[in-house]
Amino acid sequence: MLQPIVASASTERVLVFLRSRGEGYAREMARFFDTSLRPIQRQLERLEAAGVLWSRLVGRTRLYAFNPRYPFLRELEALLDKALSFYPESDRRALLMNRRRPRRAGKPL
Amino acid sequence: MKPINEMSAGELAAFVASHLMQCDIEVVLSGGACVSIWSEGLYVSADLDLIGDGTTPRSSLRKALAEIGFAEKGRQFFHPEAKFFLDCPPGPVALGREPPKEIRTIEFATGSLRLLSPTDCVKDRLLAWYHWHDRQSLEQAALVAERNPVDLNVLAAWSKREGKADAFEEIKGRLSPSR
Repeated sequence: MLQPIVASASTERVLVFLRSRGEGYAREMARFFDTSLRPIQRQLERLEAAGVLWSRLVGRTRLYAFNPRYPFLRELEALLDKALSFYPESDRRALLMNRRRPRRAGKPL
Repeated sequence: MKPINEMSAGELAAFVASHLMQCDIEVVLSGGACVSIWSEGLYVSADLDLIGDGTTPRSSLRKALAEIGFAEKGRQFFHPEAKFFLDCPPGPVALGREPPKEIRTIEFATGSLRLLSPTDCVKDRLLAWYHWHDRQSLEQAALVAERNPVDLNVLAAWSKREGKADAFEEIKGRLSPSR
């Protein structure tokens, strides 16, 4: 959807994933889009270096999210929301329907 | 000129910024080193955040810094003798959703340094407090406000535009000269 602007499928995947879920890590994104890990990692690193994303280590996993200090964040989010509204319903649902609330340790699924 | 290993953060930043200016690369000092200067050394930062205007290719920056002995390692630039390393994000300099209101210039024996004004430096630190609850950043904002006139009305209006009016109300006493 945004490839004419962002010039890379991996960049679009990273951006829409984070817009939909708030945060995420490279392997999770690669698995979701059924794509190779390295291009996703490369885009995450590039976007972080440019100040669009920030990351933190949780255990051994590097979690990425939009950098709240990125000056064009509000405008970027509006663009991503618009792009997401054109995604097929099934893709949009898959991106959005993901449990993020805590589950008590040991509680059966 | 002072040897590079004896330069303070401000002197080194001015030396690097002046060299970059000769290469048509304009940078502004932000972050912890800015706090270090405005707090008169009460806070010491190991890195110098020299932020570009968002138009300089990384390759041009790398080439210019190599001319004065800095080599890129990861995302930072290191000099074998300097006490501080450089972090040079592409920019532009932003304080939340806005550009800085005022860029000050300080002259050092090693060159000219463009940096955030004390009020904008406080905004820069408050952002880390607002978004990540980084207490160290709030302390740094207080240090800058303690030693420099900062405009609390400007900070209040800016915090409101950032959606942080309530958060500012909670901490404004820390920035007041009469505290």
